[in-house]
Amino acid sequence: MADLFQQRRNLIIYFLTLVLMGGFAAWIRGLDVPTSWQRSGMVDFCLGFVLLAAYIIGQVFRMVRLPLISGYIFAGIALGPYISGFLTRDMVHDLRLVDDLALSFIALTAGGALRLPFLKQHGKWIMLNIVLQTKVIFGAMSVFVILTRNCFSLTKNLPFHLATSLAVLVGTIAVARSPSAAIAVINECRASGPFSDRILGVTVALDVLIIVLFTLTLTAIKIILTSAGALDSQVFLALFLEMSVSIVVGIVLGKGIACYIHWIGHDLPLFLLFLAFGATKASFWLSHFMESHFDFYLHLEPLLICMSAGFTVQNFSQAGPFFMENLQRIALPVYVLFFSLAGASLNLDALRSCWPMAMCLVVIRAMGIMGGSWLAGTINRDPPEHNRNAWMGYLTQAGISIGLAQLAQRQFPEIGVHLTTLVMAIISVNEMVGPITFKWALNRVGEAKK
Amino acid sequence: MKIFFALLIIVFLAFSGYHLTFRGIRLPLFARTFYLTGTEFLFLGLLLGPQFLNLLDEETTRGLEPLGTLLLGWIGLIFGFQFEMAKLRRFPFEFLLAAIMEGLLTLTLVFLGVYLVLFPFLSIAGPMKIVAALVLASAAACTAQTGLAILAPKIADRPRNTVTILRYISSIDGLCALMFFGLVFLFRPLLYAEASWIGEVQWGVSVSLGTLAGLFLYNLFIMQRRPESELILLVIGMAVLLSGMASVLNFSPLLTNFVVGFCLVNFSREKERVFEMLIRVEKPFYLLLLVFLGVNWRLDTACVFLSAVAYCLFRCLGKFSGGFLVTRLSPGLRQYPSNLGFGLLDPGGLPLAILLDFQKGFPSDITNGVSSIVLIAVILNNFLSLPLLNRLLKAKN
Repeated sequence: MADLFQQRRNLIIYFLTLVLMGGFAAWIRGLDVPTSWQRSGMVDFCLGFVLLAAYIIGQVFRMVRLPLISGYIFAGIALGPYISGFLTRDMVHDLRLVDDLALSFIALTAGGALRLPFLKQHGKWIMLNIVLQTKVIFGAMSVFVILTRNCFSLTKNLPFHLATSLAVLVGTIAVARSPSAAIAVINECRASGPFSDRILGVTVALDVLIIVLFTLTLTAIKIILTSAGALDSQVFLALFLEMSVSIVVGIVLGKGIACYIHWIGHDLPLFLLFLAFGATKASFWLSHFMESHFDFYLHLEPLLICMSAGFTVQNFSQAGPFFMENLQRIALPVYVLFFSLAGASLNLDALRSCWPMAMCLVVIRAMGIMGGSWLAGTINRDPPEHNRNAWMGYLTQAGISIGLAQLAQRQFPEIGVHLTTLVMAIISVNEMVGPITFKWALNRVGEAKK
Repeated sequence: MKIFFALLIIVFLAFSGYHLTFRGIRLPLFARTFYLTGTEFLFLGLLLGPQFLNLLDEETTRGLEPLGTLLLGWIGLIFGFQFEMAKLRRFPFEFLLAAIMEGLLTLTLVFLGVYLVLFPFLSIAGPMKIVAALVLASAAACTAQTGLAILAPKIADRPRNTVTILRYISSIDGLCALMFFGLVFLFRPLLYAEASWIGEVQWGVSVSLGTLAGLFLYNLFIMQRRPESELILLVIGMAVLLSGMASVLNFSPLLTNFVVGFCLVNFSREKERVFEMLIRVEKPFYLLLLVFLGVNWRLDTACVFLSAVAYCLFRCLGKFSGGFLVTRLSPGLRQYPSNLGFGLLDPGGLPLAILLDFQKGFPSDITNGVSSIVLIAVILNNFLSLPLLNRLLKAKN
């Protein structure tokens, strides 16, 4: 009874706060901002508003037993350019700086969450899951797009070879997951146990492997579209080089973090934020620099660098627990900003324009995940409870999928618009539904402690 | 891409410098004066800015403006938190009067000095003349405890009372400076918009309403005890929101957050936890502030150096006479040395925050000149303050 009273009281406070903030925001947003000082003030105001509003909406979602991050995403969508227009497209674009910072930070956390003893113990399980899920999802999605290309307006006019390329790309991107969402839900539920550890393991490992898969897909499509490309050894060599260098850079960074913790130790959250962000931006700069000055394409993968750094600190130094504890300390503002901005940048126009096809693909993907994970679970003789619920943990999709779609769009402009529209629409649904189903699964297997 | 690297360089400098500067590295006194006051970061900013390396060009600096707004808000909040009435009441009332009198006297002397003597030479006229004089006077009135901190190991055997009153005055006299600085924003519509008394009243009402709404929001958020991670989010969110609001309303983020900080420290149950959070990044933020000011620093004419020396003299005159008068006028303070002003020369971080706020809110050539004057004077005062403070404490001993 007391709990119910407390909950109602909190709900009223949150409602009042939101109403006050709404009025405040309507007033400030309505003001004219002619000078650059005022414009930068407006960006600050909007950033602060999004942070606070997403926090409140997340709390309200938690009261009705939905994941916090669904609340943050919902807040982002509601405040974004397609619904209320509080955040304009330009503002969302300007705030990419925050987005990059958050993504690097989340990658550090993902690396730190992988423990070597666990990987040794469950490596085979994870690999089997990855292989089976990848095959089933890729196959189901690609075949569906090719077979139904005449049924949907988006693909009706595409010639066969373009439809095939689109199908292969959609199939590959559908394999990608969202480690950030998985980590956020696990943290929120304070979940621990084999079920959550394995799902996180598969999700993080897939995030690394998807880069390899995607590069192979791009090469294959080049062959389909131009018949000029070829699967030669140079492609694999370049890919191998990029990934190896990224991992080595990550190891060096990880050792640097461990030394910092050992010798200095204080203000670690600030140091980590700086380091993760620096690594991301430096790798972008290096790629650009090598390409423009030496005509040599070396794309270091920032997420891989940060993951590798986190993994090194956790598994090859004494500082693992201290490192994770400090990451947790500033995790909340980072998650709130990242997911609310992700919500604000969801392309609802894309969803509106191709929702029948997108909904079909969302269902096909979910069925593919269900089939792949069930098959892997059966072969591994997982407990039936885990086997029945595992698919719900793999639905989330976010950052990397969008990045891959944009990369493909640049490389193949002939199908770029179709691909981005479709992928954005699928991600919009999965990003909203995924965290909810994952939390539900954690509750059902009994690993959620909150 | 440049903006990202600029941000990286700035954050790195602030962070590394913070560790070098504030983490107990033993250096000779002269070098410590340079390092402990963070003066090197002004020069680093100058080096990175458009005058030299141009790594932080004007476009990049514009892109970093939201960070500048947040910095000002954060410093304002911290300063507001220094005014906890319950703690202030522990000291004699004469201390408070002394701090206010000393602050006001310095303000008046410097204001009159620059307005009547300095500006005619610099040919500054129009509404900007009074604005610049107010800013220079406000920056001059602030005092910090950096000198006492540098001499800390040596002053254990010095007279406790003198050190106590110096500490008290240097924490409080910034209040006069900040209030005086608030007046500057009354002139903003005169310079940048169509001015009318109705407009001024509307603006005043808007700013007050905005600040009140911000305070009310703060209270709604911290009504119940929240975990540390949530409190961090709320403090960051509110600082960003209120700083942004102040800028949009053509008002000072520094002053708005000062008012909010003052109210929070006196009326909120969560004051200790919020303050702990604010103070955790105080020093990196201070060094960031120095870099920002260094970047915007324009050293165009030699005339600026002479003006800075003159300004510095006015400030010294204000501080010395302020120290003399408060120790002679108040019977309760007669026990203190009449050259108390020798210990009040350290400018600290508040004048720099005032300066950044002024630069952002009033961009013009005159602003650049005023900034140069204050920055050079701050450096001069940093070097003057330590020997004079030493002399005051030795003489008393």
